[in-house]
Amino acid sequence: MKPIVETKNLSKWYGNVLGLSDVSLQIEPGIIGILGPNGAGKSTFLKLITGQIKPNIGNVRVKGQPIRNNYHLFSIMGFCPERDFFYEEMTGWKFITSLLKLHHFSQSEVEIRAQKALEIVELVEDKDRVIRSYSRGMRQRLKFAQAIAHDPEIMVLDEPLSGLDPLGRRKIIHLIKSYKGEGRTIIVSSHVLPEIEAMTKRIILIHQGKIFAQGDIHYIRDLIDTHPHIISIKCSDARQLASKFIQQDYVLKVHFSSSNDSLLIETNNRDKLFSLLPSVSIENKIDVDEITSPDDNLQAVFDYLVGK
Amino acid sequence: MNQENTRRFSFFLNSVKNVYSIFLSMGRKAKKTKVFFLFSFLPVVIAFIIKFNQIFSGRGKIQGIYIFSNLIVVFYLQFLILILALFFGTSVASEETEGQTLTYLTTRPIPKSAIVLGKYSAYTTLVILMMSVGVLLSFFILNVDNLGNFSLYKILLRDVIVLGLGIICYTAFFTFIGTFLKKSILVGLVFSFGWENVIQYFPGSTQRFSIIHYLKSLLPAPRTGRFSFLMFRLEPSPTGTAIVMLFLITGIFLGLACLLFSQKEYILED
Amino acid sequence: MTIKEKGYSHWDGEFLARKFPWWPITRYGIKLTFQRKFFKFIFPMSLLPAIFYLAGIYVSERLEDFPFLRGETIQFLQIGPNYFKTYFTQGFMLFIMLMIVIFCGASLISDDLKHNSLQLYFSRPLKKKDYFLGKSAVIVFFLFIITLIPGLVFFIMKLIFSGSLKFFLSYPWLPLSIIGYSFIVTGFFSFYTLFLSSLSKNRRLVAILIFGVYFLSDIVYLIFRREFRSHYVSLVSLRSNLQQVGAHIFGQKAPYDVSWIFSFLVLLGICVVAGFVLKSKVKGVEIVK
Repeated sequence: MKPIVETKNLSKWYGNVLGLSDVSLQIEPGIIGILGPNGAGKSTFLKLITGQIKPNIGNVRVKGQPIRNNYHLFSIMGFCPERDFFYEEMTGWKFITSLLKLHHFSQSEVEIRAQKALEIVELVEDKDRVIRSYSRGMRQRLKFAQAIAHDPEIMVLDEPLSGLDPLGRRKIIHLIKSYKGEGRTIIVSSHVLPEIEAMTKRIILIHQGKIFAQGDIHYIRDLIDTHPHIISIKCSDARQLASKFIQQDYVLKVHFSSSNDSLLIETNNRDKLFSLLPSVSIENKIDVDEITSPDDNLQAVFDYLVGK
Repeated sequence: MNQENTRRFSFFLNSVKNVYSIFLSMGRKAKKTKVFFLFSFLPVVIAFIIKFNQIFSGRGKIQGIYIFSNLIVVFYLQFLILILALFFGTSVASEETEGQTLTYLTTRPIPKSAIVLGKYSAYTTLVILMMSVGVLLSFFILNVDNLGNFSLYKILLRDVIVLGLGIICYTAFFTFIGTFLKKSILVGLVFSFGWENVIQYFPGSTQRFSIIHYLKSLLPAPRTGRFSFLMFRLEPSPTGTAIVMLFLITGIFLGLACLLFSQKEYILED
Repeated sequence: MTIKEKGYSHWDGEFLARKFPWWPITRYGIKLTFQRKFFKFIFPMSLLPAIFYLAGIYVSERLEDFPFLRGETIQFLQIGPNYFKTYFTQGFMLFIMLMIVIFCGASLISDDLKHNSLQLYFSRPLKKKDYFLGKSAVIVFFLFIITLIPGLVFFIMKLIFSGSLKFFLSYPWLPLSIIGYSFIVTGFFSFYTLFLSSLSKNRRLVAILIFGVYFLSDIVYLIFRREFRSHYVSLVSLRSNLQQVGAHIFGQKAPYDVSWIFSFLVLLGICVVAGFVLKSKVKGVEIVK
């Protein structure tokens, strides 16, 4: 399949700070998730492939054409920025119609498309309110609406789910997935693995400005599942709880706090541990106050992958 | 090839037109426009007070048109159009980078130069409209007893044209400053109230390095006495040259602004 | 597994108020101003008049070494209250103050409004009074550097250069005039700047308003002066009012034939109005209509 977006040795520095280093990629149609912790270089990568910033080294081609100052390409591209900035005094309707006008649609087509986009993100009822009065979730949906309103073939979505409630998140995920079947290319970034997982199986892992891994999400998932996890449990009797878990072969280490009200369990199979916990606590009448997993995040996976 | 060029040109013009209509409508409703409209309405209040005083104090010897001409130079030419052009001109690029809304415009199928030209035209229109309302009302108030004198309308037309040219030229210059510098307002203030003022006091060709020189060249030399110090040492350029120079300055700075805006990388900061 | 209910509990501790809760705001404001590239250039320039006047004090004590000085220059170098008044109230000095407040004050409140950070301030043990005090102290800091400090330095240096207390005994009230006028001019510019800064979220608009309103008042005065032929129109000019009050404080002849009280009342009126506007504009919660 012919790549839609192609980057060669893409590198970007902000003064002395490295934004992105030597990224060579070929992105084909479908949904691709850009995954990485905060500050990894995801937004820099997306800004480079939309031509908003210039690479120091390397180049970007979209559909075989260079992106920088090639404004024609934006008739088939939609971009949802990460930052929460708007023309605050405009209404939601005015914002969408104004940006659609810049696509050279006729007035009637502008209105039809704006109405459709606002319906998709469920903002029709609030379309006549000024943007500065919108909630965080509404603003996020409006940003998404402007990126899809002109029905682009390539969508670049920078953290499109941040600030959305679970329902809104599900809806947008569902929507993004529906585009896949239409042969579009959707590049979506996030630092939350389950969000990306819900949309696609193809991911690119970015860490410290470099492509760390690329391919199927199952590979990453397996790494998360098999690498040792630390689970912290606050409960009424930490030692009794520990005695039940220590017999399990997937529990590698147990640490106690001095006050005997919490314990840290290191395991290489957290799913099994979590499924056992309720029965153990009920049978032994141990009150569990809090369960946290200090390293259950992407950073921990990255740390594990880089061998920290 | 020719057809292709025509198509491209019409696409470009259409892009400029679209940007123009968006920002004209947005600018019309913006709070900043209302603030500056109040500013530009002040000469009307001044004119009203002066006329009121003339009528009731019985000291109506000074002709309304004379006071009007002074108002044009002192208030409009040397102050208001500079302030308006400075704010709206620098806004063309600065408000997009400061407000971090630039992304919405640069990810549309329009040339970046169309963004500059469209916004410049929209803001220039707004400023000219704001200025014209104040000028017309002050003219009518100050000359209320002499409105049948048609020669006065010639003066009014000339003054409006000169101020319009001033706005077009200064806004183009400040548009360039706004695309070029991050802290454009302070540089603009130094230029407007430093350079443009000081240079008028220099003899010879020096004053030709200012925009105000060409604007003042289009106005008649002032009588000695009141306000004459404001035109001190004016060695005017011929009318034709002044008009050509004003358009040339406008063209050069707009061209530079378009070029810079298209090539410059704007890193939007947190 | 039971989940324990967690609710809010009242805090019964003692509230330990900081002695100067406004100080972090001031410190940050000063630091931020010094970080501006352009300011690093403008600020030393603003000290040039002070250096010039200080050199004048030195020369005044060694006039015999400068035989080429004549007439008006010699008169100017007769150090007395008039010398101090000229430094403090000359149009150029007021212009410099204006530029300094544009740099350090335009964004003081407007940036807080833009970034919705007022609620962050007021979610801390900080009263509105402390907020205003912290913000105005930034302006006070920079204006004192070009008013109060040079004024007192001139006075001390005059005593040192002359090697006697004669100057002090002739004008014992002069240090009080320096302090008094520095407080008035700084207080006025603080209210004026914070007031305009609270009117908009747009820093550029505020900068233009600070500059524009000041000059606009002067232009209106220029236009009215000839028309009305009355010194009372000087009351519309901010510059004239500051000069009028300054002349009185330094015991010099007023530039306009108007009682300095009127000028003082105009300045005070502006500060009072500014205070009211500031109080209503700066709120912890913004209600969006």
